[in-house]
Amino acid sequence: MDTNAAAKTKRPLSQRTSAAAAMRKNATATTPHQNLRIAVIVEPDADGERLIRELQRLRCEVRHIWPIPPQLPVDCDLVFCTLVEDMPKRIPWLPGEPEAGLVLVDRGVSNLDLKLIHNCAAHGVLHYPVVQRAVQTCVALAREHFLYERRLRNRIDKLDENLRTMRLVERAKSLLVRVKNVSEEEAYNYLRRQAMERRVTIGAVANAIIDSHELLS
Amino acid sequence: MTSSCKTSEPWRVGVLFSQSGYMSVIEETQLRGTLTAIDEINDSGGINGRPIEPIIYDPGSDSRNYGLLAKKLMVEDGCSTIFGCYTSSSRKAVLPVVERLNGLLWYPTLYEGFEFSSNVIYTGATPNQNSVQLCRILMELYGTRFYFVGSDYIYPRESNRIMRELIRNNGGSVVGESYVRLGADRNSFVPIMREIRQVQPDVIFSTVVGNTTTYLYQAYADLGIDPRVMPIASLTTTEAEIRAMGYDVGDGHLTAASYFQGVGNDRNATFIDRYKKRYGEDEPTNMCLEASYFQVNVFAKTLAETNSMDTSMIRQSVMGSEFDAPQGEVSINPVWGHADLWTRIGRANRSGQFDIVFESPSSVKADPYLIGYGRCLEYS
Repeated sequence: MDTNAAAKTKRPLSQRTSAAAAMRKNATATTPHQNLRIAVIVEPDADGERLIRELQRLRCEVRHIWPIPPQLPVDCDLVFCTLVEDMPKRIPWLPGEPEAGLVLVDRGVSNLDLKLIHNCAAHGVLHYPVVQRAVQTCVALAREHFLYERRLRNRIDKLDENLRTMRLVERAKSLLVRVKNVSEEEAYNYLRRQAMERRVTIGAVANAIIDSHELLS
Repeated sequence: MTSSCKTSEPWRVGVLFSQSGYMSVIEETQLRGTLTAIDEINDSGGINGRPIEPIIYDPGSDSRNYGLLAKKLMVEDGCSTIFGCYTSSSRKAVLPVVERLNGLLWYPTLYEGFEFSSNVIYTGATPNQNSVQLCRILMELYGTRFYFVGSDYIYPRESNRIMRELIRNNGGSVVGESYVRLGADRNSFVPIMREIRQVQPDVIFSTVVGNTTTYLYQAYADLGIDPRVMPIASLTTTEAEIRAMGYDVGDGHLTAASYFQGVGNDRNATFIDRYKKRYGEDEPTNMCLEASYFQVNVFAKTLAETNSMDTSMIRQSVMGSEFDAPQGEVSINPVWGHADLWTRIGRANRSGQFDIVFESPSSVKADPYLIGYGRCLEYS
């Protein structure tokens, strides 16, 4: 940080700019989850208020809801919700297809029900009393797991799609080899060129070739 | 559910088949197949002295309900194993639930393949166990020009994709293709029949499912076409649908299936006898019913060994498992979690039964991704 005005005017421009940049970088590093939309569904008691405050300190966009609604909101990135016995019924998505990250809030009043926690398919648990470190790590880990899960599911969907496309391209290639009397390599080159020129996927080109061959013969 | 040494607490399992709506004709038979097996097992003393208790819900032919009810079964009813589903859409609705909560769905229905899940045991036929032989037989017996008609959802579209490949790679052609919505009425088939009469295919390949099947075959019969010359060939029309449409309407058309009631072995005779005693002399068996029946038996055999409902334990134990089913000896292929099944082609007759026109010499190994069938499905 700057010491006095005289020192400040003597420092070269490049140093001052990089110092400011470092300050901005540090500022973002302490709140990596700013603007995350978080619904907080807890009783507004001492711990509840503390939780809301901690999340606000992280620069998250906090929405407090109480009492627990029949269905948890889906228009947010993360939901903190007090664990109740009928929690699975209140979760609007099916296990395996979450629409938001879910952190269960355990007030510590009743017996720990691990089966219930399993059935909620949550991304994390926060125990009362509220501790700043725990809140921060909960947010970070829940968000990370939710996003990773989504990436994995997208990967599986993509793999399935790719398999279908591969068989399609294989057929189109065989067709080209037969009809245009070219080698396999030339057929692939042709498919790729068409896809590039028309700015569509190679699967779309393969589909078109197969369809038109059918129509014409 | 964890194991217990001395208890007569029942083993709770979920059952999800539609008893109402347009899928009820066939799924009702799968429910019966499931219950027949459970009753037989309980009558013989249950598994390790404990009876199987089925928790049965009716999803009412709505795919979304299968997902919701699978969640209910697993979360509220404590069932980690579920027997259920016919349509691929209903299976896909259940998939995320059993995968996330580590349950096990036993799926007793033919489907389009190209799927694998560690949380599903597949006991119905995939394309290499039905489509491949069906295409060959049809082209041998009837000709090379095919017309496709199917219900409009993923299974018929995917099956047609594969069938088209098979046909084209062996010198045939697809001269027309129509889809009707699930739960369509008989009027939907009028324009289709008109087109068929115009185009004159050698074979009508049908992947119409559910109660709608009746309308297709009846529309065909109304046109007065001869099934000996231009048959409807199907992967999905079973004894149950033939019964619904009328034996005279079904007469002469073909189906590819792992099992027909007419399969001639002792095991099947006993099975049919038991089934008729319970449900009536007039009640036919079919491939979906038979799969529902044998899969419960495979489950029971496995559970007797693991003495635990833990999904990972059951799955590990069931891989490679063999069972003497009414269709013949079947096994759960350890590479895919799909069953090695028999392939048969049958022609429906005037008594609502199928005469077996082709039978594979042994069970056909599961290959849901068609890895062993060449990059573009060519066969000699």
